[in-house]
Amino acid sequence: MKPSPLARELSRIVGSDAVFWRPEDLMLYEYDGLASQKQPEAVVLPITTEQVVRIVKLAAREKTPVVARGAGTGLSGGSVVAEGGIVVGFARMKKILEIDLENQRARVQPGVVNLDLSLAVADQGYYYAPDPSSQKACTIGGNVAENAGGPHTLAYGVTTNHVLGLEAVLPDGSLMRAGGKFWDRPGYDLTGLIVGSEGTLGIVTEITVRLLRKQEAVKTLLAIYDQAVDATRTVAAITARGITPAALEMLDGFTLRAVEEATHAGYPMDCAAVLLIEVEGLQESAEEHADDIEVICRETHAREVRRAKTSEERELLWKGRKNAFGAIGRLSPNFYVQDGVIPRTRLPEMLEFIGEVGRRYALRIGNIFHAGDGNLHPLILFDARDRDQAQRVLKAATEIISKCVAMGGSITGEHGVGTEKTDLMPLLFSNDDLEMMREIKSVFNPQGSFNPGKLLPTGKMCGELRVQVSGESK
Amino acid sequence: MTTTVESARAELAGIVGESRVVSDQAACAALAVDGKAPQMVVYPTSPEQTAEALKCARAHQLAVIPCRNGTKLGLGNPPHRYDVALSLKEMNRVWHYEPADLTVSAEAGMKLGDFQHFLGRNGLWLPLDPSGGPWTSLGGILATNACGPLRLQYGAPRDMVLGMKVATTAGKVIKTGGRVVKNVAGYDLGKLLVGSYGTLGVIVEASFKLFPLPAKRATFVFPTGTLGIARDLRRRILNSPLQPARLVLLDGAAATLVRAGSALAAEIKEPELWVEAHGSGRVIERYARDLEALGRGPGAPVRQLDDESSELLWSRISDPGGCLSEANPHLVLLKGSLPLAASEEFLSRTRQEVDSSRVRLASFSQVGVGTVHLCLLDEMPLAELAGLVQRLRDAVEGLGGVLVIERCPSELKARIDVWGPAGEGFEVMRKLKAVWDPQGTLAPGRFVGGL
Repeated sequence: MKPSPLARELSRIVGSDAVFWRPEDLMLYEYDGLASQKQPEAVVLPITTEQVVRIVKLAAREKTPVVARGAGTGLSGGSVVAEGGIVVGFARMKKILEIDLENQRARVQPGVVNLDLSLAVADQGYYYAPDPSSQKACTIGGNVAENAGGPHTLAYGVTTNHVLGLEAVLPDGSLMRAGGKFWDRPGYDLTGLIVGSEGTLGIVTEITVRLLRKQEAVKTLLAIYDQAVDATRTVAAITARGITPAALEMLDGFTLRAVEEATHAGYPMDCAAVLLIEVEGLQESAEEHADDIEVICRETHAREVRRAKTSEERELLWKGRKNAFGAIGRLSPNFYVQDGVIPRTRLPEMLEFIGEVGRRYALRIGNIFHAGDGNLHPLILFDARDRDQAQRVLKAATEIISKCVAMGGSITGEHGVGTEKTDLMPLLFSNDDLEMMREIKSVFNPQGSFNPGKLLPTGKMCGELRVQVSGESK
Repeated sequence: MTTTVESARAELAGIVGESRVVSDQAACAALAVDGKAPQMVVYPTSPEQTAEALKCARAHQLAVIPCRNGTKLGLGNPPHRYDVALSLKEMNRVWHYEPADLTVSAEAGMKLGDFQHFLGRNGLWLPLDPSGGPWTSLGGILATNACGPLRLQYGAPRDMVLGMKVATTAGKVIKTGGRVVKNVAGYDLGKLLVGSYGTLGVIVEASFKLFPLPAKRATFVFPTGTLGIARDLRRRILNSPLQPARLVLLDGAAATLVRAGSALAAEIKEPELWVEAHGSGRVIERYARDLEALGRGPGAPVRQLDDESSELLWSRISDPGGCLSEANPHLVLLKGSLPLAASEEFLSRTRQEVDSSRVRLASFSQVGVGTVHLCLLDEMPLAELAGLVQRLRDAVEGLGGVLVIERCPSELKARIDVWGPAGEGFEVMRKLKAVWDPQGTLAPGRFVGGL
């Protein structure tokens, strides 16, 4: 088999060892964390911005779509091709270009793995705050595209609150720089617009981020409940008491039993829910907040409140949480993670609703919430070989997301719209709102060649999830 | 009034009501920008009316500048044209408030002071201390991303706004974001609006995330002797576990001016580093202990201020323009934004430039953030002033930052662009402006590069 003319041209830019075109190689790029999609025509792994520019110009000439990809850990289909074309993978652009601790900044290439940046500055007492559960694998470029969150965004904000500047290649091959090391450059906030634009406005080739000083003290608590609804009540009570924990996570009994069997984090096997709560700050403030939270948990009927005594105990508790999706994978051939947001005071009501939806569609649904900011991740278990069941999954998920919107929430808190939720966008936005987004898109990407089929409604369906749930089992 | 303006006036009166289109001279003069007064002030009472009024202005090719109390009207280059002041004065209600969720939505004309008072009843606040203080409106804060020294701990309006409603010149009301604290659905158009100085659309409503009021606050003042000592101290504080809410370096003149007329009034000769801590009683005690230790060495020891006087003094420190303009009618206010570690170096270069100009200077520097406010207190010949500002701008740019003129005589604006050169990305900004405001209805010519 011979490479296509396109693959040969790409080889001229990056070298033949950095272009994939054989079907068996391309198969690896068919999916992200969500579901499998179409195969790209070629995958190219540039090593410089200049190569990205040349690839984009070639694609423009050939009228071929271009999709940027970090580690492919996304959960909304953002990095997989919807309409064919070239995948530009950033696996080789993974240099930390500059660490400037005096100014609390770092400049990185998009392929830098999220956790690697924090590790690179850990000895000096700094870290990069956004911490998606996939932080050991996901890249900062991918985080920028999806405006990724994570458990600790409750106190520190999501990716957009930590990115000050970037460089991006636009679909015509021009290079755009925005922001920089300092705040308040006059002009429109192009950095803020690009973050979360899911690769549809430009391909980011360099990112300037803020580094934070590590807190002196961290206290991690595990509150254990016999009634899941009591756990959700605790969340609102903590907020109402004026405490903003660094993280406030909830796992229901079903999920945590799966996690416990997989990771032996020490979660109780017989409870209905746990809250994993973390407070940070000066020793004095962390202690006071931990004490206050313990009292609140008991007032809201926690059966037991444990505190991690060592950093090993803390890491074990977090390992359980961060590996939860993987643990669920042991229980079911397939599962579908949702990502909805509601006002946090509505958690008790929502938990009940999800239970009712599960019963109505005869589906097992585990609940794992970034409860502190009302960000829900219901996990719906299914077997993709069972077509009828797969259809019920989509209906159940659509109902849950619609309920989020009805409660004044959102269709996605941190995973992005991707291909998954394009047709849910009208639930949240009017035609006028969406028309403005389309016009903004056309400023950058008039031909629609960057990541087509993402973020904006396709107009084919309305108010439904667009996910392929009938694929291979994972 | 020309016939076009006359017919537009009638149409606008049809939209907002006859009594809400005001053409009397005093009202118009009060909202003049760089000596140019509008021909009328329009007071819409709803998002839809605002959008309709904008559409009408666009159709009649009138230029509109949105405003509320005018605390930020002086920011920007002189408008190319200015026909209508669009005042959001009548849009000042809170319309959705969930204290337990720490979220609130309010109309953009609400004044920050009223807003804080309202939130304070539930022990909450929006932790912002922008110029204009309590008189500045929520819309004005967002349109200029206005923040004072509290930014160090709490961030900027950009980070606190969850969603907005924006009236466009096409006559639509567009929604960005939402009311929940986490939301990544669609393009983040809100980011474009924040800091766009009213040149894209008019922000009519906004939702914010709120914060609990701190249990206690305490202010500590370090006399620092020299800029070198101030820099070392700033480094030690930023590298310590402490996380001050505010950290501001005042030069002697600024330190003297903010004290004037207060119980602490005194003539201060050397720079002072002001630190504010928020937290419980134990946390405050910890700050007192640690700051005392960090300040040991050259310079006088740290001193803790009493709460009453520090509140007044912080309100002045947060708003150098408002604090100094009355006593210094020729005040020129410059804002340097630079990598934070370059703050003291910029101050030292400023000193050299200013000393040779024989003008009095007062400087207010958020040294944990990289925002330096320079106040030139005396009247200067225009050419000399333009030369000085340009040299200061060169100095900031040499250190990797930018200099914006926030307040100056209108005549200076004819000689020097208040924003500085339109930098990278300008071509894209121009196209974005054309999407939102194709006829140049909104504040024409006032923003970067004449946007």
